[in-house]
Amino acid sequence: MLLIENLSVSYGAVQALKDVSIEVPHGSVTAVIGANGAGKSTLMRTLAGLEKPQSGQVTFNGEVISGRKPEDIVRMGIALVPEGRSTIPELTVEDNLKLGGMWRSHAQRNASLSRVYTLFPVLSERKSMRADTLSGGERQQLAIGRALMTGPQVLLLDEPSLGLAPLIVTQILELVARMAWDSGLAVLLVEQNATVALRIARSGVVLNLGEVVKSGPAAEIASDEELRHAYLGY
Amino acid sequence: MTNFIDFLLGGFSNGAVIALMALALVMVWRSTRMVNFAQVGQAMFTTYIALTVQQSTGNWLLALAVAMGAGLILGIVVFFLVIRPVKNSDTTGAIIATFGVLIALQAGAGMVWGGDPEGFIPPVSNAGLEFAGRIWPVSLYDILVWVVTAALVIGLTLLFTKTSLGLSMRASAFNPEVARLSGVRVNRMLITGWAIAGATGAVGGVLIAPVSTISPNSFDILLVFAFTAAVIGGLDSLVGAVTFGIGTGLVISLVSGYTDASNAPVVALVLLALNLLLKPDGVFSHHGSRSV
Repeated sequence: MLLIENLSVSYGAVQALKDVSIEVPHGSVTAVIGANGAGKSTLMRTLAGLEKPQSGQVTFNGEVISGRKPEDIVRMGIALVPEGRSTIPELTVEDNLKLGGMWRSHAQRNASLSRVYTLFPVLSERKSMRADTLSGGERQQLAIGRALMTGPQVLLLDEPSLGLAPLIVTQILELVARMAWDSGLAVLLVEQNATVALRIARSGVVLNLGEVVKSGPAAEIASDEELRHAYLGY
Repeated sequence: MTNFIDFLLGGFSNGAVIALMALALVMVWRSTRMVNFAQVGQAMFTTYIALTVQQSTGNWLLALAVAMGAGLILGIVVFFLVIRPVKNSDTTGAIIATFGVLIALQAGAGMVWGGDPEGFIPPVSNAGLEFAGRIWPVSLYDILVWVVTAALVIGLTLLFTKTSLGLSMRASAFNPEVARLSGVRVNRMLITGWAIAGATGAVGGVLIAPVSTISPNSFDILLVFAFTAAVIGGLDSLVGAVTFGIGTGLVISLVSGYTDASNAPVVALVLLALNLLLKPDGVFSHHGSRSV
């Protein structure tokens, strides 16, 4: 389990995260929701090692990961799919996938590759095409596929719905939820689209201006009208 | 017409060496987004080392291998000595620092080997081949230069397109953050890029030495030509570096043949200026824009 304890991060004088504590258990999706500027992406980038925390710590199965380098964190089994469908447009679809988990054994990588192609058949059809020829939804699948190639136990998904059609968002997120359920993956999902996120998540965390204002079962948060009006704006 | 063909044929060997130096510049650009002006200095230094090896053993292949090894090491040394300390603060500082390395290498070579031009004996004949009743401006040595260059370019292409190391290096160049998130040790890839560039430049130096002479400053003009080829090729394209490296060699040969050799650098700079005016991203560039 991924355990975030009293995490604070600041950019110069701006405090982006304040004393944030979240538990991300295996086998389910934990959704972090909140408006723009709530600190959601900062949280994800800090977990992945791209930002250094000011205080607090993150542990994974009892081992401290906060403050380590991104390439070491991903090797421990924590993979981030960053915001904005971050694939490498100049590389082919298959090269984008092969980039993930290059340190793993040949057999492990081949197994992951065929699993990704089963999960996302469209990537298999387009494997020799450049990534920039893919549609937005396909590119998001590719970004998730590359993260899966690292053989993760924790999947961090930053704003996967950004710029995608609602139907595709639902498809992708349901697939992620099923994956968490089937293979015991711990998923931390950051979303502005609270409705969809809370529908597939088991528990939810509401972030506002860098602070946790509410956490609990997803259904409870989804039905809390006051909370919705105050922090989620709908 | 006979002249034209002779000038073209005569330009290929120079073009091959310019292509190798341009490749070295491109590999450094791809890994750290900067131009290493010390590249020809490194090549000059490793060529002197090759000269020493050849003079004491008489073995050209051994001299070439030692130069490549020395080029790898020198590439890593320059990366750690100069680039690493200044890289995080600003790239301009690092680029200027590479000029410092160039001057230091030239001074160092002068102290070790002296400033007088020395000849490098070619392993095979440097005389024009006779064929179909006339002597052509192509020697056995020219053919050796083409073969070694082609082998190196093919080897590098396979390395970059077919191996995991190559994929890691390309990904680190295109998007370091995504590469790191995928588990690639990007910093090691940057160093590897500098090392391979050093070895590539070293081969270029050893190949050109027998047809010119070697002195601490004798490769300076090569920097002008290689830089022109690399920039016109788009600075991040290996194909561009090779294509325009050979192209630059041909143009230089034609200009030198029809007018005077001293006009060649001017023509190269005019080509460079035209390129920056008309197609500043280069012909083979991957990216939409870049700052020069």
